[in-house]
Amino acid sequence: MLHIVACCKWVIDEAYIRRGAGEEVDLSAVDWKISDYDRHALEEAVRLKESQGAKVTVLTVGDEKTAKGMKDMLSRGADEGCLVADKAFGDLDSATTADLMVSAIEKHLSPYDLILFGEGSSDLYARQVGPRVAAGLKIPCLTGVRRIAVGEGYVEAERSLEGEIELVRAPLPAALTVLPEINAPRIPGVKETLAASRKPVMHLKSSDLPALKAPSIRTVKIKAAQLKRDCLFLDNTPEGVRILVEELKKKGLNF
Amino acid sequence: MEFKLTEEQELIRKNMREFCEKYVDPIAAEIDEKARFPQEVFEKLAASDWMGIPVPIQYGGAGSSYLTHIVAVEELSRSCAASGFTLSIHVGIVEMLILLFGTEEQKQKYLTPLARGEHLGAFVLTEPGAGTDVMAAQTQVTRDGDYYVINGTKTFTSNGPIAGVYIVFGWTDKSAGRKGMSAFIVPRGTPGMKVGEHFQKMGIRASQTSEMIFEDCRVPKENLLGKEGDGLAIAMAGLDHGRVGIAAQSVGILQAALDESIKYSKQRVQFGAPISRNQAISWMIADMATDLTAARFLTYYAAWLKDEGRPFSREAAMAKLFAAEAAMKHTIKAVQIQGGYGYCKGAKVERLMRDAKITEIYEGTSEAQRMVISGALLR
Repeated sequence: MLHIVACCKWVIDEAYIRRGAGEEVDLSAVDWKISDYDRHALEEAVRLKESQGAKVTVLTVGDEKTAKGMKDMLSRGADEGCLVADKAFGDLDSATTADLMVSAIEKHLSPYDLILFGEGSSDLYARQVGPRVAAGLKIPCLTGVRRIAVGEGYVEAERSLEGEIELVRAPLPAALTVLPEINAPRIPGVKETLAASRKPVMHLKSSDLPALKAPSIRTVKIKAAQLKRDCLFLDNTPEGVRILVEELKKKGLNF
Repeated sequence: MEFKLTEEQELIRKNMREFCEKYVDPIAAEIDEKARFPQEVFEKLAASDWMGIPVPIQYGGAGSSYLTHIVAVEELSRSCAASGFTLSIHVGIVEMLILLFGTEEQKQKYLTPLARGEHLGAFVLTEPGAGTDVMAAQTQVTRDGDYYVINGTKTFTSNGPIAGVYIVFGWTDKSAGRKGMSAFIVPRGTPGMKVGEHFQKMGIRASQTSEMIFEDCRVPKENLLGKEGDGLAIAMAGLDHGRVGIAAQSVGILQAALDESIKYSKQRVQFGAPISRNQAISWMIADMATDLTAARFLTYYAAWLKDEGRPFSREAAMAKLFAAEAAMKHTIKAVQIQGGYGYCKGAKVERLMRDAKITEIYEGTSEAQRMVISGALLR
């Protein structure tokens, strides 16, 4: 039976982010959610399980708050969870996250056939973790995937590119990053949510994994973006256009 | 003491919110306008086990608590109070009564399909001359061999036109007073039971309400719920549970009123600034949020007592009284904040204000709640 690892990130729900004083971002009252793109990866894993049989393990890396996220992930149809959570894992860069995932997968989730990711995370959207995990595991990586079919020993995927659709095939095991258009994730039912706590979860802490490398990227500061609105009514005449160009130049737009 | 829902309850609330944003919000104004029951929404709710949350798994439910059901009613009501109410009656009264008073056979036969959401339940108590005064009911039930024969006219039956199972109350022995009423499970299609006039209501218009007429309606003796003479106690137990649901519906309406008020007052500019900067407006919002919080905790407390197996009749009445009156008071304010825009069709607050009014009326008026509360205190 196929073993599919669906990777999900537990992120701040952007709807709760408030602007603090000045340029500060107020995160004091935020709620958390599964990264939107990753929901599609998990949904696709569960659909493959339903259509051709598979075991689905959901894998997530984060700090202790991520434990609640694991329940949410398991309520969406995964069979088991692998929770790589430690207070040291709160603010990791993509490379470190990928290293942790590679260790967890090699040591605890092998053998595996497919590793699915969302195309990027809905908080930072760096699109790094999927390809980095594939590189770490030395397996093929297909990105921008909008359709998946699994055959005997291979995966076939449609990749959505700028102007065309590319149909590619890779041997298993393989890593894929999926686009939102691949499916519409389900909303878990009440029974599924209640059953999530009864599913097996492997909890890996910092001490269970190789020491972290020094991060290659450090977040120095997060500033709130300022949106300024202005309204100017102009006539639909050459004179109106002239004023428009002048006004845009005044605001610092260069032509 | 812990003032928080479980992680599962929080996830269930979020899932209901997402469900509402996807399936309920887009049609809420339309079903209100047309007074249309959203069958398609209830089919989806049934498929995801929302129609029997506190019912044990062996009877088709989700096997969770009453509080979890209450959270679902609240969140659904935030998008559509009529849908939240329909769910409340179905689970909170009809399913809970069969669960509490039904025989094993009745649970298998009637509770299981209800909990799976195959059809809706209705609670058939009120009569034209018997609202708050339940004892003034006229419906008569006579025994005829292995059958009971029901005769009478009921009114304001929620889910009347669309239900699959009805719990009907009538006198089996009027001379026995409070011990003379009995309750019966009557499935749709039973000869002699028919749906009468449909009512056009001010609010919760998507909820279907009608008269129910019983003319020599014969039900087998196996359909007696509880024992002969238990009817009034069963009706009161049903209302205790249902009132927590109406409180949750009111909390959902109130939350929606607060959401709309915050959103509107921050974007509506008058005299060069958003109206939220005016103390007259910001204090309305402060009062709204305060009453919302109080109403929510009273409601959860009543549901928690029920789950703990403790008496909750008085707290259910308090929750319903407070939440309903708060919903009415603050939806009027929410319309006031939006001024002319809030008074027009298409503004959500206009619907919220009409929907709020019924919460002070059904399943015991606010006056009846005060009777229950003071009666318990001054006994």
